[in-house]
Amino acid sequence: MELLGNLGINTKLFIAQLVNFAILFFVLKKFVYQPLLQVLEERKKKIEKGIKSAEQAERKLAEISEKEKKILEKAQEKAQKILLEAERKAEENRRLATEETTTEINKMMKKADEEIEKKKEQMLTDLKKDLAQLVVSATEKVLAQKIDEKSDEKIIDKAIAEIK
Amino acid sequence: MTEALIKPSFKPEIVANVGNLPITNSFLVTIIISLIIIIGALSIKKRLKKNQPGGLQNLIELIFEKLLELMDGITGSREQTKQFFPLVATIFIFVLLVNWVEVLPGLGTIGVEQHHHGEKILAPFIRSGAADLNLTLVIALISVIATQIIGVSALGVKKYLGKFLVSPLQKPYFIGTFVGLLEIISEFAKIISFSFRLFGNIFAGEVLLTVMLMLVPLFVPLPFLFLEIFVGFIQAAVFAILTLVFMKMATEAH
Repeated sequence: MELLGNLGINTKLFIAQLVNFAILFFVLKKFVYQPLLQVLEERKKKIEKGIKSAEQAERKLAEISEKEKKILEKAQEKAQKILLEAERKAEENRRLATEETTTEINKMMKKADEEIEKKKEQMLTDLKKDLAQLVVSATEKVLAQKIDEKSDEKIIDKAIAEIK
Repeated sequence: MTEALIKPSFKPEIVANVGNLPITNSFLVTIIISLIIIIGALSIKKRLKKNQPGGLQNLIELIFEKLLELMDGITGSREQTKQFFPLVATIFIFVLLVNWVEVLPGLGTIGVEQHHHGEKILAPFIRSGAADLNLTLVIALISVIATQIIGVSALGVKKYLGKFLVSPLQKPYFIGTFVGLLEIISEFAKIISFSFRLFGNIFAGEVLLTVMLMLVPLFVPLPFLFLEIFVGFIQAAVFAILTLVFMKMATEAH
């Protein structure tokens, strides 16, 4: 104990220093460390949050532009498809119309041919009749007399049959 | 009028008495430094702004961040750093300022004359607070006791005591017990090494400065003043970092 005294250690001063340091510790802790640490922590959190949301926004933007691109591509594809389809349909329609017209014309031509044939036949028949008559009348004139109505007709028929 | 002797002594000189309490010069200096720190703390608290830190706050925040990073390097986790930070930082700030008192002009020279054994002796007003074993011993004790508390709270009573009291019947047998005994001694040695290292450095610095001033009052003491500023910083840093390291070691099981 004497040694401690010689070194200047004094119980009262020792306790006083202890109290002093304790007060200092608590004052610094309460008024400096805790509030400052809190401020630093809060700011750190805020910055982290800001960075995170910025990153999120960027990611979303990229996503959206990607989507936009995709949609545009799809629309273009679809438009191309529609165009092709329309062209194809138009071609088909044209082909069908041509075909129809051709058949119609063919049909009409056939009908006309038939008609012509028929008319020709008729004309021929008429002509034969007229001709027979003419021949008869010529013959009559030549003969200068009609045999009779009955034999007349007979001769005509005979002549016609001969011509045929 | 004979000049009073300037005689450096281990004991801080008593400059006044308040009731029963002898006020030594080092205690006086310690109280003044403490008041300055408290006023500083209150003004920092008052000026603390959340989102628009001013110049001073920026500086303090920068120092804080760097200190926290430094401590993270030792503790390895921010949680532990936060737990240890208040004590370590207080020790650092307090010891640093108390050390730097020794470079104030008037150290060891301005004071009251006292009579001791027929000799006139000068009791200077300014004596670095750390040149007083009372102070260094107090901080050393607080540091070591806080270390024990942290060790117990981190490991639990049984496991923490298991570091020191090892049964001689266990695996390394008597070696373990002996190591445990050494651990106990080392805990007490920490108190002594902490307190005497700081006291010795600062007291020696004071004696050196006083002697230099008496020998050559002009210019020559200047480099020694710078040296003492450096020593004061190093001793404060050593005290704080050793406290931190011991605390970290106390939280780790063997």
